[in-house]
Amino acid sequence: MRRLPVYILIDTSGSMKGEPIESVKVGLADMIATLRQDPYALETVWISIITFDRDVKQILPLTALEDLQLPNISTPESGPTHTGAALELLCQKYDEEVNMGSAEQKGDWMPLLFILTDGKPSDILAYNQVIPKLKQHLFTNIVACAAGPSAKTEPLKQLTDKVFSLETMDGATFSKLFQWVSQQVAGGGKTMGVSDTTELPDPPAELNLVI
Amino acid sequence: METIFSYIIEKMKAESEGRKKAFLDFAYDKLIKEFDQSLMDKYIVKQNQVNQLSIAIPNASVKKEYNQIIQVPSDLGDVELIGLTDEEHGLSIQKQEDGKSFAIKGTPKVAGTFDLILRFRYESLLPDRPYIERKLQIIINPDPRQISDERTIPTNWETIPEPKYFKEDTQAEYIIVKANNNGTPQNDMVAASKRGRSHGWDGKPRDDHFKLKYMDNGWYIMAVADGAGSAKFSREGSRIVCDTAVDYIQTQLIDNSKFEENIHLYELSKDDSESEARKLVGDDIYKIVGTAAYRAHCAINREAQEKNVPSKLYATTLLLTICKKFSCGWFIASFWVGDGAICLYDKNAHTAKLLGVPDEGEFAGQTRFLTMPEIFKDATSLYQRLRFNIVPDFTALFLMSDGVSDPMFETDANLNNVDKWDELWDNLQNNPESPVHLIDDNEAAKDELLKWLDFWVAGHHDDRTIAILY
Repeated sequence: MRRLPVYILIDTSGSMKGEPIESVKVGLADMIATLRQDPYALETVWISIITFDRDVKQILPLTALEDLQLPNISTPESGPTHTGAALELLCQKYDEEVNMGSAEQKGDWMPLLFILTDGKPSDILAYNQVIPKLKQHLFTNIVACAAGPSAKTEPLKQLTDKVFSLETMDGATFSKLFQWVSQQVAGGGKTMGVSDTTELPDPPAELNLVI
Repeated sequence: METIFSYIIEKMKAESEGRKKAFLDFAYDKLIKEFDQSLMDKYIVKQNQVNQLSIAIPNASVKKEYNQIIQVPSDLGDVELIGLTDEEHGLSIQKQEDGKSFAIKGTPKVAGTFDLILRFRYESLLPDRPYIERKLQIIINPDPRQISDERTIPTNWETIPEPKYFKEDTQAEYIIVKANNNGTPQNDMVAASKRGRSHGWDGKPRDDHFKLKYMDNGWYIMAVADGAGSAKFSREGSRIVCDTAVDYIQTQLIDNSKFEENIHLYELSKDDSESEARKLVGDDIYKIVGTAAYRAHCAINREAQEKNVPSKLYATTLLLTICKKFSCGWFIASFWVGDGAICLYDKNAHTAKLLGVPDEGEFAGQTRFLTMPEIFKDATSLYQRLRFNIVPDFTALFLMSDGVSDPMFETDANLNNVDKWDELWDNLQNNPESPVHLIDDNEAAKDELLKWLDFWVAGHHDDRTIAILY
């Protein structure tokens, strides 16, 4: 079975508490519900969610869409944003969970990665150290989303050239973001050259490409 | 209690009737409020206990049998689970003998997220709260095949930007080669190509292509190409390479006495693996088949230049064979770039020989394309993609895109396993839903083959193309 692994990293630092995180939860739930309606996504998509604040947790191990139940996402009152540690955990989970092709085993589709943050990494040193390691883990696309006025896009640009910024963090905006993400996921799993990346569909109006 | 009230009554004897009554009302209101509040507090404690119970209900799927025991880890008393019925959902709930676990069984009929109520009997003494409830959910996944069939739409050409490169959603062809003068039946060719279900879902066109040609001098030419799903104009890329390669080969095989002489020479000296004839035939194939592939590569570059776009937008694989029966046996030569499979299958000898190596990466769907410059970077890299064989006879020569080979074989190890080719040959002819009658001169086989391509394998919904010489 060829799986399409999708890793979703969500900032759960204190500043996300309240409406932002509630909107993210609704957006995620809608995204899962939408993907379930797509027969091809239903058979291939596997999702993992990693949250990061002071602590970094894989709250959802890589799970088939068919079996997936969204875990609860909680946020502390305040505290740092350990984005570097989150990427470190991502690399570790990638190594454990993603199947590479061999004569006896069909490889997974190349994974997708989405990162959502409303701030900047507090663990700058760890962040800078993990970037070369992350680059060795291949993704068809890495999409980074900087949400709200305090989100810094500079660090994200080190990860990918696909950095988007969201001006507001309300329900409607997140809802559009996750709809777009689900289009991405549904469009994943295509034949491509050994060194290509795929083209993204146009982002919704709320998303501004960072230049 | 009694004494408190009699004490109060005794104390109030001296009070006026009005004060007495007002005091009693006051005392009652105050006490009953506190009383209800204390009941409510207890109720909330219980409610929180119920809310914190960890209860997992695994997801179900339409048409898939479901049988789960749901544990309710509590000693909070008599409990019910309600919300599913056989009539509506195809699932029913049965309380187990231990009184606190439930079996959910059946074969779901409808997809969706459904609310279940977990209800504890609890004598709270609060009139409007006879029990404690908690809402749970069960997710029933849709049946992928059903929603896929419901939503398949023809290619929506209006929304496809210029250049459109129109292509039919299906393609099928049968080439009858009539029995020769002494009545010996000749091998025929059949091929079918069908748009993948995942393209049907959003009205996108087919990217695969094939071309068959039989020449009067006995040469069979077959080409199958799989346009990359990620490349915008790959449907045209696959057409260009099939047409260009097959057309070029025809011009080279019309008058080919030198080539055929070399084949005979090779046959005479084939026990000597380093024979000169082997080199001669190899070079002929390089010139004929290798050049055909190169011309196809160039034809894409020309088209891309004309449209002023990068040639990788036309990315496509190419599987190409030429084949002819000589007195010494069948001669088969091939060129292969990309995934999919070319296989020479002999049921009687129980052999299945892959005429090349599929190009695959670490991840699914990664492959090499004819559009990549590295394929033709030097003679050696091209030579490695060419094969030739002479065999006394064979059952079938297969060319197929990965839309067929992936679901049928899954791994490279299986592609090299002759038993799996036996299974495919059997599946083609004896498929209970859509058998393909691969018998001589049966033109109907092309439509049967097209129908056979509808087989369902979870997770495999790419364009499918198969060509068979038999």
